Amino acid sequence: MKRPVWDLPTRLFHWSLVALIAFSWWSAENDELDMHVWSGMAVLTLLLFRLLWGFFGSSTARFTSFVRGPRMVVDYLRGAWKGIGHSPLGALSVLALLGASAIEVVTGLFSMDEDGLVSGPLARLISMDFSDEIAELHEEFFNVLLALVLLHVAAIIYYRLRGKRLVGAMITGRGEVEADVQPMRPGKWWAALICVAVAVAVTRWIIAGAPPFGT
Amino acid sequence: MRFGLITAAGACAILAACGGPETKRADNYSKATKSAAVAMLAATRVSGEQAHKIMHERHEGMESVGKNNKVIKRELDAASPNLGTVRSSAAQLANLSARASGWFPAGTGPDIGKTGAKPEIWQDQKDFVGKLAAWQKAVRAFNVAAKGGDVNAIKARFADMGGTCKACHDKYRSEMHH
Repeated sequence: MKRPVWDLPTRLFHWSLVALIAFSWWSAENDELDMHVWSGMAVLTLLLFRLLWGFFGSSTARFTSFVRGPRMVVDYLRGAWKGIGHSPLGALSVLALLGASAIEVVTGLFSMDEDGLVSGPLARLISMDFSDEIAELHEEFFNVLLALVLLHVAAIIYYRLRGKRLVGAMITGRGEVEADVQPMRPGKWWAALICVAVAVAVTRWIIAGAPPFGT
Repeated sequence: MRFGLITAAGACAILAACGGPETKRADNYSKATKSAAVAMLAATRVSGEQAHKIMHERHEGMESVGKNNKVIKRELDAASPNLGTVRSSAAQLANLSARASGWFPAGTGPDIGKTGAKPEIWQDQKDFVGKLAAWQKAVRAFNVAAKGGDVNAIKARFADMGGTCKACHDKYRSEMHH
């Protein structure tokens, strides 16, 4: 039976992140660094929103509902898990993707390009040499993020081959859920608005160089 | 009153007359230097040790340009930039960019050694020299602005200069420049 699994904010977050990671990659490869920085700022806003939504969002978006210990992962692999939202194994993938995206954003904030023309808003807070090293890490670590994205897509294809469709639920928000599983408890629309407002405010503060530390 | 108008009109006519040939001359001059530079780029083909020496100097020079840009950008992004720092880096940029005219003789392309300089530089020399000259001109303008105290003007000239870097790099620099 099809029932709500992912709320609208979570789905918008997911597909916006997909688009922005692709755009960030393209803009970096083509030396469109001004656009690359703005794309990074947008990803920062998204991640901040997702972090907040992980505490105040609907039940399947909350970290408490999907961050579980290794025993649950083992149970899941043995086929002894039933539930709604991220599976224990899928949750690891979610955390890894969010974490890798966060590392890319944070290193980007402190990076400056080698031509000295474009920089993240916080690059000035650290020494030039340290900023150069972080910029290198920013470039190298993208490969890790890319590998995680590929693994994520490969897993979805694997599940599809075994008869489980996952993409549809991330588009429509509804997916197959066993009847005896507790349904998704939706988040409040005004909570989503507050989370967006806070995420935008924090991003703007960082763009301004994080005063008073940045002045 | 009428006399005043006539004098003013006359003065305008004289100014205009002077302005005309003057600008034309400046135009011819820049065209002449540009074609001379193209001729130089093509005529002075280098090889062997000399080529490698120039490529090394070019690499170090461009790296130094980047370093100076970084120093300047960090200052200009600050709430109250240290203009002394900006000025000394601007002077170094002026010096480096003047030397850059000798950095791209034929025979210093990627077929000779590891370089970010694309072969297109020597295939479309006229365009390349134009872009190089645009950068050199922007550096001079930036250096002049840096000597003044108008931070907004300095920022504007720095942005112009960055645009000329990018215009050339987009077309003539490969990803091999690390």
